[in-house]
Amino acid sequence: MSRIALLAALIYILIIAGIGTLNGSVLTLALPLVIYLLAGLWRGPEKLELSAERTISSERIAPGEIITVSLTVTNHGETLNQVTFHDPLPDFLEIIEGSNNRIAKLPAHGSLSWSYSLRGRRGFHTFSGLYLQAEDNFGLVIKRKFLPTSGQVLVLPSVARVRRIVIQPRQTRVYSGVIPAHQGGTGIEFFGLRSYQMGDSPHHINWRASARGNSLYTNEYEQERVADVGIVLDGRSRINDFGDRSSIFDDSVLAAVAVSSALLAEGNRVGLLIYGDRARWTSPGFGKRQRERIMQNLALSKTGESQNFKSLFIPRRMFPTNSQIILISPLHEDDLPLLAQLRRSGYPLMVISPDPVTFEARRLGNSGSVQMAARIARLEREIMLRKLRGLGIQVVNWNTAMPFDQVARAALSRPVTFLRAMRSERGGRS
Amino acid sequence: MTRFAIYVSIIAAAAVLAVGLGIQGHILPAVGVSLLGAAWAFAFRRNMLWVATPAFALFTIISASSIWAGVSPWLSMIGLISSLIVWDLTNFLQRLQAANESPLQIERTHFQQLGLVSGLSLLGVYTATRIRISLTFGGAAILAMLGIWGISALVYRLRRHEDEIDV
Repeated sequence: MSRIALLAALIYILIIAGIGTLNGSVLTLALPLVIYLLAGLWRGPEKLELSAERTISSERIAPGEIITVSLTVTNHGETLNQVTFHDPLPDFLEIIEGSNNRIAKLPAHGSLSWSYSLRGRRGFHTFSGLYLQAEDNFGLVIKRKFLPTSGQVLVLPSVARVRRIVIQPRQTRVYSGVIPAHQGGTGIEFFGLRSYQMGDSPHHINWRASARGNSLYTNEYEQERVADVGIVLDGRSRINDFGDRSSIFDDSVLAAVAVSSALLAEGNRVGLLIYGDRARWTSPGFGKRQRERIMQNLALSKTGESQNFKSLFIPRRMFPTNSQIILISPLHEDDLPLLAQLRRSGYPLMVISPDPVTFEARRLGNSGSVQMAARIARLEREIMLRKLRGLGIQVVNWNTAMPFDQVARAALSRPVTFLRAMRSERGGRS
Repeated sequence: MTRFAIYVSIIAAAAVLAVGLGIQGHILPAVGVSLLGAAWAFAFRRNMLWVATPAFALFTIISASSIWAGVSPWLSMIGLISSLIVWDLTNFLQRLQAANESPLQIERTHFQQLGLVSGLSLLGVYTATRIRISLTFGGAAILAMLGIWGISALVYRLRRHEDEIDV
């Protein structure tokens, strides 16, 4: 029931009761209510003629960085006794100082300025405008208006610095880089021997091998080139989101930033596919510009659910044949067949999997039942990961309580064969 | 300031009506009104601001009923005006809370306006008690119809622009 309707109903009751009982005193009780109504009408807002302007100190910020939003509203019409302004903000932005709401009196042709500071987590927001509500002093006559303003803010994802990620794609591109190309030529690592040819540097002659034979032999080194890398970020709600609005997806985004930055820094051609409610594709590219494009797309990425992406989604046509594919996903048992199929098709596959079991168990507390459930879930997950490793897929099981750069340094900074050898040596020693 | 004024007005509304009823010997209704006032103050303390609307309607009806119970029209009027002030200030407080601030200038203007309305109402009551008009039932009925028509026209005018969103 609106306030005016309530007042009117009470006035009717008092008038009818007063007249019905011919009691002037009861009738008189309606007087304050009538005067109150009249005052509302007298001071009520008429036509709203306002404009708003917004300035934002920075439109592109890192998480936690503080920006200041300044607003100026100008009244081109009559005096407004009470105006409430509301500047809507998304969940990922948090106000540090000031307020996005304001209540004020706006004189005719006067203006009002205020500012507030905010910081945020990863995301993008367009400040489309300002909602205002003009009222009389008693809040009886209400007029609302939307004042459009321009402005946007992009909060980039957090960055974990990873120096090197070793990948071993089957095929490389022609440009020189740091990935062993399985071809002899100029490089650092020894690759093989071949007969000396005119023009070969005398420094590269293998004298020991030449002394055993009758002719000269030259050392060949493994060429190092750049490669095509496709990063797939899995944003399906059902495997990323948990109860009470917590999500492991932000950790996946962090890993995607670190991996793409490291690979781009080494000169590789990197593409990114994010899918959740819909697919977001960053076509492959090189360098800092590509990094910026990937960062922007990661800033916008959200989890979601779609009928198209019920199962794992890696469209092969988007990635050149034999290019390295890096899947970042908490993984689900049902995803195994597709990964196996992809591996059989010849794609070198790396899976970085933020561990959802540890993530959820950490939030649920330390009770006996939680520990037991977590143990069972962890065993199931370990079986799934072993199956994947058995298929020749490099799997990194990331406990998100540990910083990603630490995990990457331990598991991704050296070739898989080297790491396996280290592990077996350690096993042998023990 | 607003919160303090609300507490004072709740106490005033309940106390005035309870004293009026008590003087007339209606002890049980007087206790009932006091308890209602206490409940209203408690609900406000717990930030249950929606309670203000039914409480205001109830106090208006109690004020009108107290006149038939022989309570002085002045006491009834003060009770009604106090409950009107509480109802108004609660709504005002809600708006201030939504805006996350309480600018002194706006609060002051609001109190001035509210004071003006209360003053005019008391002046109206004073005038009404001084003027004596004898009316037949027919004349009173016509006046009532005119009053209802006038209020309806006013309400229609107020509500015409209510919730109209101008984009």
